[in-house]
Amino acid sequence: METFLQVAVNGLMLGGLFAIVAVGLTLIFGIVKVINFAHGEFLMVGMYATFLLTTGLGMHPYVTAAAVVPILFVIGALTQRFIIQPLLAAHDEHIQIFATVGISTALINLALLLFGADIMSTPSYGLRSSIEIGSVRILTGQAVIFVAASVLVFGLHLFMSRTLWGRAIRAVAQNRAAAQLMGINVDRVYVLTFGIGAACVGLAASLVAPLYPTSPTTGTYFVLTAFVVVVLGGLGSLGGAFVGAMVIGLIDSLAGFYIGSDLREVAVFAVFLLILILKPSGLFGKQLNLSHVSP
Amino acid sequence: MTAASPLSLSRRQGLAVRQGAIALIILLGLVLVLPVMIGDAFVYHVFVTICIFAALSTAWNIVGGYAGQLSLGHGIFYGIGAYVGMMLMNVGVTPWLGMFASAAIAALVAMVISYPCFRLRGPFFALATIALLEVFRVLALHFRDITGGATGMMVPLNIGWEWMIFRERLPSLLIAFGLMLVTLAVAWAVRSRRFGFYLVATRERESAARAAGVDTVRVRLMAVAVSAALTAMVGTFHAMYLTFIEPESVFSLTLSIQIAMFALIGGIGTVFGPLLGAVLLVPITELARGWLGAEAIGLHGFVYGAVLVGVVLFMPNGISGLLDRFFKTRAPARTAPGEVAAVAAAPRASGNPQIGEDVLRVSGLQKSFGGLRVTRDVSFTLREGEILGLIGPNGAGKTTVFNMISGFLEQDAGTVEVRSTDGSWRTPVTPGDFAAIGVGRTFQIVQPFAAMTVEENIMVGAFHRHADVHEARDHARRTAERMGLAAYLDMEARSLTIGGLKRLEVARVMAMEPRILLLDEVMAGINQTDVRRAVDLMLSIRDGGVSIIAIEHVMQAVMSLSDRVLVLNSGEIIAKGSPGEVVRDQTVIEAYLGKEYIDAQT
Repeated sequence: METFLQVAVNGLMLGGLFAIVAVGLTLIFGIVKVINFAHGEFLMVGMYATFLLTTGLGMHPYVTAAAVVPILFVIGALTQRFIIQPLLAAHDEHIQIFATVGISTALINLALLLFGADIMSTPSYGLRSSIEIGSVRILTGQAVIFVAASVLVFGLHLFMSRTLWGRAIRAVAQNRAAAQLMGINVDRVYVLTFGIGAACVGLAASLVAPLYPTSPTTGTYFVLTAFVVVVLGGLGSLGGAFVGAMVIGLIDSLAGFYIGSDLREVAVFAVFLLILILKPSGLFGKQLNLSHVSP
Repeated sequence: MTAASPLSLSRRQGLAVRQGAIALIILLGLVLVLPVMIGDAFVYHVFVTICIFAALSTAWNIVGGYAGQLSLGHGIFYGIGAYVGMMLMNVGVTPWLGMFASAAIAALVAMVISYPCFRLRGPFFALATIALLEVFRVLALHFRDITGGATGMMVPLNIGWEWMIFRERLPSLLIAFGLMLVTLAVAWAVRSRRFGFYLVATRERESAARAAGVDTVRVRLMAVAVSAALTAMVGTFHAMYLTFIEPESVFSLTLSIQIAMFALIGGIGTVFGPLLGAVLLVPITELARGWLGAEAIGLHGFVYGAVLVGVVLFMPNGISGLLDRFFKTRAPARTAPGEVAAVAAAPRASGNPQIGEDVLRVSGLQKSFGGLRVTRDVSFTLREGEILGLIGPNGAGKTTVFNMISGFLEQDAGTVEVRSTDGSWRTPVTPGDFAAIGVGRTFQIVQPFAAMTVEENIMVGAFHRHADVHEARDHARRTAERMGLAAYLDMEARSLTIGGLKRLEVARVMAMEPRILLLDEVMAGINQTDVRRAVDLMLSIRDGGVSIIAIEHVMQAVMSLSDRVLVLNSGEIIAKGSPGEVVRDQTVIEAYLGKEYIDAQT
């Protein structure tokens, strides 16, 4: 029982990690309706930035967030403005997929070129030490990520529902043309959303870097799971992504312990494929189908 | 994404085709001759790799380009090819046989995993293929007894043609080149036959393709099987060439992305685009590796990514699209569009033909969307050689009735029976069944295959009765002439006006030679001249022995055309009879003009 509890708590902590990476992805998908295949590479860029700031200037990794988050915001906003925006009119989704896949490939290899394939470890500043709650141990850093993920999801939810910009963003997501008619600058909303989505992953990077090694392919490792989380939670749903992340975290952790650590991914992806095929709108997504005219 | 079809070009463009063919032969010749002339081992290696990737991309293109299913998991099939070939070789089976074994297995695996995934569109299909690729990679790492796990597998050092392993480089180049030719030939054959047209039609508009009698799931599955089989064959050879394989390098996302990338850069959906992409891009990788060595690790990948983004932004049709534009501006158009007045149809014979027996019987159709009852107890019949007008206010359920009598919606209750040519009554279920028994339909919101030319659009319909491309083309041309579309044959459907699109929609259905034609508002939004033309057209179609049900809002047309009129309101038939009777019916006036109008009259 104690082992199970420990494994389950590990799963939830892992879920916090997945959640914080997935939040930006689901935000971008929900509003801009583009799957950002380069999201993992944004995380990787953030982790390298954290690493450089920590080792170069001796900053605490959490403090670097003050720089990393704005950097990622700018990267995201620029990506939307100069790469995605010209392609939004294209009816062909392939084009958008290839654009973000291209960004992803370019960034991975740029990192290879600049830093080599070696793994960089950001100093942990004691974040890898564990704290004990009853019989369960968790890493300090993991607990921080879990709390941060919860706060981020809640904060974004408040932003979306209470502020003028948040309402504008939601209006654009629901009906682009109608929002435009109401005087909302749709292009600017998209740039802002993409920026916020990227900024979220920047925050994730600063929190994750002290716990996990940084390498050019770090992003791929995290983002595949983030895709699973986003689809499970219902694309575009922030709360759904959080719950989805917990579910995947638990599956990952339990499968790792009870089936075999090398088969964790198989379990996670099997769930992913099942959800995609059986309920593509996700566990918490709404099915939107307004047209009976054109089957 | 434009699919420049190789065969759609008119004879006058034959010159451009011949130039293209010569350029292609020269290009292929160079790929073979250059390395032999230079004779350097490294150059040989570069060209072998070009052939391999050209073959892989061409095979991918059958699914990713023609069928429009963006797979980022083709490493699965490449890996199956590599592992199956290697394992069989370890037990003494020559890769020449192993190749076919792996092709068969890959085709089977492809069909099994793709079938459920075809429900997914665009990015979701891509995500699912990535996930599956990961599953295969992890499984290959896990079952190390069979695959050797992370340590990988080496070929046993048997040298000679029998084993596809050589000391010198030339034989490898010959095999790689041969594989590339085979793949190109298959891709060409697929694209220029009915199968290829069906794939592109399915990609462009799935529902319109189904209405044209295409079994869209089946053609996609076949495409996936062919593509996977070819990919696996190349995989088997590549494993022999590299002499070493491991899960990370064969079930690789990077490799899968590269395969797709070459196709996109060269020209997605075209036959020879992927070849161009590979010829231009593979040398970058190999030269960077060969000349700059470990220092430049990542350089070629960075260039690939940047080129991909650039291509997507500035030339989404790839290099082929660029070449196409260059040649098209020089090839004269068949006739300048607009010059020829679109004359519709042959003059009609005088007098209405006899109206015959029932050909379609609908009884008790019910359909609800959630709590909304869209049709309640709709029953009617259609007789041979009759034009039945179906009218009613917006939201009355007309299109829903059409969807149920063409297989696009399943009714909650009720039956739809169609009399087949042998006189027996059948109850078709799927759109394919309806098409097969001779029911054709148009869509209210036109559904052209946008990237195909007008001729190709009509051919998709013509294939329903003519499997051969030439026959289908002839038939399509005849149909186009009848519909007044002859001047636009070479134009892409997307560049037609709305009136043209409506006519194209009818032409595509007519090319199927239906016995029962369902027309959904073909006259909405077109001008007066076109309406008159459409009326003549419908009458001449009917005179040809086709029974028609027409949903229409243009009243004068309905009244002059229809033998009988059905009025649908709130899902119920409120009146039926001759046009004259129906317009005088009080309930009809009420439904259209409101109760106040009647009160005011009395």
